Amino acid sequence: MRTFLAILVCKLGRWVGKLVGKGSSMPGKAALKICPDILRRVQLPPHIIAVTGSNGKTSTVEMIAAILRAGGKNVVYNEEGSNQIEGVTTLVLTHATFGGRVKADVLLIESDERYAARSFQFFHPTEFVVTNLYRDQLTRNGHPEWVYDAILPAIHPETELILNADDPLSSCFAGGHGNVRWFGLDRCSISTDAPTGVYHDGAYCPVCKAPMVYDYVHYNHIGAYRCTKCGHARPAADYAATAVDLESGVLTIDGGVTIQLAFRSIYNVYNILAAYAACRECGAKPETIAGGINNYILKNGRMQKFALGQHHGTLLTSKHENSVAYDTNLRYIASTQADCAVLVIVDAVSRKYFTSETSWLWDIDFDQLARPHVKRIVLSGRYCNDLAERFSFTGIPPEVWSVQPDIAAAASELEAGGGEDLYVVTCFSDRDKLLNLPAVKKEAL
Amino acid sequence: MDIRIIHFYPDLMSLYGSYANVSVLKRRLEAMGNTVAVETVAPGREADISNADFLFMGAGTERSQKAALADFIRFGGAVKAAAEDGAAMLFAGTAMELLGKSIADADGKVYDGIGLAEFTSVQGKKRFVEDVYGITGLFPEPVVGFMNKCSVITGVETPLLESLSLGFGNDGEKRPEGFHRKNVFASELTGPILVKNPRLLDAVVSAIYRRRGEPLPEERPVDKWAEDGYAITAEQLRLRCEKS
Repeated sequence: MRTFLAILVCKLGRWVGKLVGKGSSMPGKAALKICPDILRRVQLPPHIIAVTGSNGKTSTVEMIAAILRAGGKNVVYNEEGSNQIEGVTTLVLTHATFGGRVKADVLLIESDERYAARSFQFFHPTEFVVTNLYRDQLTRNGHPEWVYDAILPAIHPETELILNADDPLSSCFAGGHGNVRWFGLDRCSISTDAPTGVYHDGAYCPVCKAPMVYDYVHYNHIGAYRCTKCGHARPAADYAATAVDLESGVLTIDGGVTIQLAFRSIYNVYNILAAYAACRECGAKPETIAGGINNYILKNGRMQKFALGQHHGTLLTSKHENSVAYDTNLRYIASTQADCAVLVIVDAVSRKYFTSETSWLWDIDFDQLARPHVKRIVLSGRYCNDLAERFSFTGIPPEVWSVQPDIAAAASELEAGGGEDLYVVTCFSDRDKLLNLPAVKKEAL
Repeated sequence: MDIRIIHFYPDLMSLYGSYANVSVLKRRLEAMGNTVAVETVAPGREADISNADFLFMGAGTERSQKAALADFIRFGGAVKAAAEDGAAMLFAGTAMELLGKSIADADGKVYDGIGLAEFTSVQGKKRFVEDVYGITGLFPEPVVGFMNKCSVITGVETPLLESLSLGFGNDGEKRPEGFHRKNVFASELTGPILVKNPRLLDAVVSAIYRRRGEPLPEERPVDKWAEDGYAITAEQLRLRCEKS
């Protein structure tokens, strides 16, 4: 009876919520009040895939859904990204019959890395994908090992883990766990022999803290690592990217499956690999997966083209407090050839407060912009002084960068002169402050 | 002057942009006409700290901190002697805990610190993560920073920040924070606190000069971006204190 009531309240709440445009966690919260173990009582689909990690969760989940649906599976997933237990409850119950059976072949969950343990106390995923673990929103997450410790209790002995072979930290989840499948990227044209960023989180083994060595590095601490003491090392990948050509945008998996990259970044390669591995483990055929990915269009709008005066603009959305996301976009800008200007905006780090926490700016490798084709850099937003202080420690000549606190004024200055390509690096929370300016004309990708 | 800075475990204890404390100090000292050498020490490597002007260690994860401690313990006697002699040093973030008597981890296992100070640290499963705004006895301007730790530190008799109007201190909300004795500075405030607080950078520079018996030059270089950034941060945090 309580199960029925909880499902009813949740469905009603969801219906009302959609009418008034409210978020998707309230109905689940109400259902959990009525029946705290409702998630144990419902009959879940045969495949429950969870995806967690620092970066790439949403893209990976969207690709898995697109691929499995292309293969004829009925997939339900939290498209609105409300990925704590309340959101998961809403997702499950709105797709359940009043008898408590979830009408789907696959339940797909993007899980917040800090709350996974809470979400999975009543049921456990059949497949659990961890994309990676690195420095991300340290004000919320403490540090990557803290996040690792938070995810660990969410892993049920019967769950099949799908892990990134190239990440020395998240690969530790395999320790003592029998059922693991690995995805990874072999040495390729973009590999470097040594890490390149500001900090070196792969310097010491996450298991025993002895020095680690790398045969090659793809980015940050992702690569072929080997502890000099305890034997912790990159395992062989079950699903391997055997060739990547970012110039022509072609990825080859397991020597035979060819995928066209819509977005030519190394991070996209890893998201595709994670999705590929998860779908293979759910029985999808390689050609179905390749077809699904080739037809999948990145919907999240992280890249936005626009015109500003004579400039062709590209807005590259980063995440504040995530040095890896920034480094990704700076690496992309550095790889371009034509003369360009760069606008960096840091205006609101937290939605709630002004915060003194700007240490993440020091983890970003802004020196990547010290390139002859980067002709000028404008630093803008409320944290422009902190940005400027950071830039004063780079090797970028001082005449190249300038500061304009006001975003609209920065745009006007750029509009008034020059016609070089313009790249804007900023966060979701700040991007519209530029894109909504009258002078900025958005273009389709 | 020729100034020697020793940076302990820059790769192991590198969270939250800790390294920038060394970068900004080096740049300031050079701008004042000094020649500055920064030596880094990795675990297992030798270091002669007897005539160093400044010792630094930054924040690390709780596990990295234990690895750092396992190595650093051999320097304990030399660091205490240097501190007694007036050497300047900054232990930031979890590195602060190494100076105390002991550190208990979240499972209750106790590790001996180097015992430069009397305090003890107890780590837990909850993190204290928030902005900090406080007052030090060193200068009139408020100190701003960000706390991101899982430790409660008790037994500090001479804190760096004597009172907080925002944030978690050594052993509780709005309690005193950090440790300061002679020219030893320690704080769990994470990240580049010498960048965020130009007056604290001045205090460290003064300490280095004082120990050398050198007078401070009349004019000190001004870092406009750091000063302007500090002014905005201090103003905003002050407003938040008034609201709460």
